[in-house]
Amino acid sequence: MTSISALENIHQKGLFGDYEGKNENELIKIFERKNLLIVQIAQYKNSSFLTKDINIDGLNLTNETLKVSCNTDTRILWCGPKNWLLISRKKDLLKTIQKLLIDNDFAVTNLSHSRAIIELEGENSKEILKKGCPFNFNELKKDNCVNSVFNGITITIDMIDDNPNTIRLFALRSFGESLYHSITDACLEFGYKSL
Amino acid sequence: MLHIKCPYCGMRSQNEFAYGGDASVKRPELNKETTDSEWDSFVYLRKSLRGKHLELWHHISGCRQWFKVQRDTATHEIFKTLKPSEDI
Repeated sequence: MTSISALENIHQKGLFGDYEGKNENELIKIFERKNLLIVQIAQYKNSSFLTKDINIDGLNLTNETLKVSCNTDTRILWCGPKNWLLISRKKDLLKTIQKLLIDNDFAVTNLSHSRAIIELEGENSKEILKKGCPFNFNELKKDNCVNSVFNGITITIDMIDDNPNTIRLFALRSFGESLYHSITDACLEFGYKSL
Repeated sequence: MLHIKCPYCGMRSQNEFAYGGDASVKRPELNKETTDSEWDSFVYLRKSLRGKHLELWHHISGCRQWFKVQRDTATHEIFKTLKPSEDI
C-alpha cells in the first residue's frame, strides 16, 4: 500500500513572510515529517504489568509526567497515565512491540497514517506556539512532551532539541491542513523557510 | 479564564478541559431495588449551589483523564483537584 503524506499539496517549499533582509539561519524552518512509525500504547487499567521492565529499542515506558524517553531513532512520549505514543524511524519496530506487549495487558494501535506531523526549528519556535496554545512554554525543556490545543486543534507537542529549538507537532491527519495554515500564519511575522 | 491543576499533568488552561457535571451525585447501588424517584433524582435532579461545589472535569485535550475539582461557583476559585478514586 502506498501512503500519501498528510500535507501533500499543502506544504509548499520556499521563503515566506517577513524574510527579506534577514539571515536565512535566523528564519524559522518548517518541515513536514513523513514515513515515521507512530504507535499508541495503552495499558489496561486492571493490568499489573510493571512497565519499567519493558525494553523497546533500549527504551522504557516512562511514568514520569511530560517526559520523553528517547534515542536517535525512537521516542516514547508520555501521553497520560498508562498511555504512551511511540515515534520511530524503524518501521519494523511494530512487530517487536506487538510481541513484547501482551494482548491481555496492552492495546497497541498503529497510528502511522492517521497523524500529520509538522516540525518547527529556530529560535522563535516557542513564540509561534505561544500565539495559539495556552501552555506555559517556559516549562517545556528538551525531551519533554505535552498534549494541548493550538487554535482549538488538539495537538501533541514534542520538544526534540533546545539548540536550536526544534519542536514536533502531531495532529489528527484531518486537522493537518488547518493546523499547517495556523502555524504558517503565525510564522509570517518572523519570516519562515519551508523545507 | 480559569487555570485548573490536572492531578496528572499539572497546571493547565481551562481551554484544555471539558466540564463533566456534579461529582457528588451517587449512582443507586447495583442489584438493589430502586424506586422511580431515586432514579429520577440520579438522572435529572441537580442542585445549583452557590459556593463550594464538587465537580467532574475531563482533561480532554491533555491526558484524557477524568478528575474531581472542588470549586466555588460564585468566585470560580479552585480549592482542590483530586483523582476520581480520592475523596476530600
